[in-house]
Amino acid sequence: MTNAAMPRAGYSDLPRGAEAVHVLIMLVEDRPGAVDRVVGVLRRKRANTQSLSMGRGDAPDLVRITALVKDSNVSVDNLAEQVRKVVDVRQVTNLTVQQAVIRELVLVKVSTTADNVHEAIAAADQFGGTAVAITPDTVTFEISGSEEKIAKCIDALQAYDIREVARSGCIATVR
Amino acid sequence: MAIAANAVQLPDITYQAYQNNNEIRELTGSEILCEALVREGVELLYGYPGGTIMPFYDALTSYPSLHHVLVRHEQAAAHAADGYARATGKVGVCVATSGPGATNLVTGLATAFMDSTPIVAITGQVARPAIGRDAFQETDVIGMTQPITKHNFLVRNTEELAAVVHEAFRIARSGRPGPVLIDVPKDVQMVKAQYRPSDYTTSEEFLQASQANAPRPADHLLSQATELIAQSQRPLIMAGHGVILSNAYSELRALAEKASIPVITTLLGLSAFPASHPLFIGMPGMHGPAHTNHAIDAADLIIGVGLRFDDRVTGDVSAFAPNARIVHIDIDPSEMHKVKVAAVPIVSDAKVALVALTEAVAPADKRAWLEEIRSWEAAANERGQSIQHDEALPDPVSILDAIYKATNGEAIIVSDVGQHQMWTARFYRWERLNSHISSGGLGTMGFSLPAAMGVKMGIPDAPVWAVAGDGCFQMNLQELATLQQEGVAVKVAIMNNGYLGMVRQWQQFFHSRNYSETPITSPDYTKLAPAYGLTGIRVTSRDEVEAAVKHAMETEGTVIIDFAIESEANVFPMIPSGKTVKQMIEEQPE
Repeated sequence: MTNAAMPRAGYSDLPRGAEAVHVLIMLVEDRPGAVDRVVGVLRRKRANTQSLSMGRGDAPDLVRITALVKDSNVSVDNLAEQVRKVVDVRQVTNLTVQQAVIRELVLVKVSTTADNVHEAIAAADQFGGTAVAITPDTVTFEISGSEEKIAKCIDALQAYDIREVARSGCIATVR
Repeated sequence: MAIAANAVQLPDITYQAYQNNNEIRELTGSEILCEALVREGVELLYGYPGGTIMPFYDALTSYPSLHHVLVRHEQAAAHAADGYARATGKVGVCVATSGPGATNLVTGLATAFMDSTPIVAITGQVARPAIGRDAFQETDVIGMTQPITKHNFLVRNTEELAAVVHEAFRIARSGRPGPVLIDVPKDVQMVKAQYRPSDYTTSEEFLQASQANAPRPADHLLSQATELIAQSQRPLIMAGHGVILSNAYSELRALAEKASIPVITTLLGLSAFPASHPLFIGMPGMHGPAHTNHAIDAADLIIGVGLRFDDRVTGDVSAFAPNARIVHIDIDPSEMHKVKVAAVPIVSDAKVALVALTEAVAPADKRAWLEEIRSWEAAANERGQSIQHDEALPDPVSILDAIYKATNGEAIIVSDVGQHQMWTARFYRWERLNSHISSGGLGTMGFSLPAAMGVKMGIPDAPVWAVAGDGCFQMNLQELATLQQEGVAVKVAIMNNGYLGMVRQWQQFFHSRNYSETPITSPDYTKLAPAYGLTGIRVTSRDEVEAAVKHAMETEGTVIIDFAIESEANVFPMIPSGKTVKQMIEEQPE
């Protein structure tokens, strides 16, 4: 997902180490190729993308794309302008992490036995994880929340054998 | 000036002549497409028929005001449309079939995209039920051209076709112009739909309405810019293609004269400002004259108008204009701070911003600064320096001078890409506004011949010269047949050194003269031209240059002059890629 490895020309005026995570919320007309175009801009302009998700928002004819991008203010501002040039894009909101409420949904499937299943459920519960599917040898937990909370919950579940982790990518609103 | 007898005569027909805009008719998609093109004021289309675009070509014969030019390769259709657009300011149109027809347009679309020129490309696509099944001549041209068009459309049904065409023209022309592609499945071209022209706003109607309310740059930005100009001792204006696209020639001149600021034009800004103007100091960058680059190095303020600080202009960005603050005027907000962080970013049409800035600045006299730049220029005196050692051979400067003289400076010059392009940019005297046409951003070899055809057909009264290298010319020389068939008179000057000269120059400077795959032969152009029914001349002596150019002007139709220049002539000065003015190479390395 990230393009950060390659050096980039042109940003020499910027102070080093000025990168921070920004949230871009992009509302895009629901037309063939529209999402493709936006993702294409992120790729071509070498956005240092940490997370990308899309789905519906409040308007039925718009797709809401949320990208977390780690770069300097100037670079992210420029990226937002590049995205705004895509004809299908209705609106771009560029937020700092502090300005945004950011959430992600994670499904974690762990191996369990009859002996430790209750213990696993209790461990996840400490961090707001709830069991959503139970089989004789696995439990799947749903965790939603901030990055920190998710990290702690996954950490707590490391004691069990994690078989699969699925993350939705972040969605966000303005605080 | 001789124009071939069968030169294009555009019929004097407007769309009102054969339709009532309020009448509802049932038309095929192809007919609706033609009607919408006529309503957009299209006169010329460059294209090539094929399977999936055949319904369109079938309808085309019923629309005599749409003059179709059959090119010999779709790449040339895109370049010709591009040349037409650059010279006239109107939208150029090219047409191709699906699959290979569409892929052949790609280089031309990328060229137009990099240089922000308005063209609309129409491609046939396989019928809707066949899309995605790898049908014969199916290709995903929408996916393929996404990064090199301002926008593209796959037309989903005949009902939306007219709206798509007008929107395509609006997008191509508005803001920062660019190419737009419309992909029309074959069955959409054949199905009938209700069509009432007055239901659709043309791009012209739309733009007139929006231009009337074009916003003026914010007052606080204008006053910041004005203050920087007032404080500045060593200001420069750098004018780019945006000045030409915005038709802001007199506005640029007014600002420069009122505030007494020397003017640099980028490669694509050449001919936006008369070269003989006392404030004009040349082109910046890799092959700009030394004094221009020294001026940028010493400047304390740069007012960039309609340019994007391309790497061929800046070299090493961190060392570019190290003492200058930047006022950046551009219509595209994404150009602000993209390469250089601007102290005052003004997102605006160049013309609107220049008018507002000229009103706001105080008259000034900065003659001392201009004189300093002129003293550097005199010290270098590059025009006096011979590019070549052998004075008997035709040389680039004498060729360009002869063209200027034979056309009274009225020529439009379409250059290709390489050494000859840089010599042309540097040594031709750009007096006629918008007379320099070249592929700047993409650097597309093979551009000049088809583009010159578009220029000549757009501005039939102007003498049009394509200046090409022997490598470039051979990339699209099939268009000689099109020029002959259309009776279009383009004069071609080939600066023939038997090398891919710019690559050879780099090999000489940076690869120990390892001339890997740069020697190139040419056909005998004096035989090639007659084979196409055209005239070919070979010039091997400097004494014959002027007479040959004069003869070409007096000869009907397209004429090729093959000038045998010195094989290892170089472009000086040169700032190596990614370097600074301090590493400028001013003379032949030993």
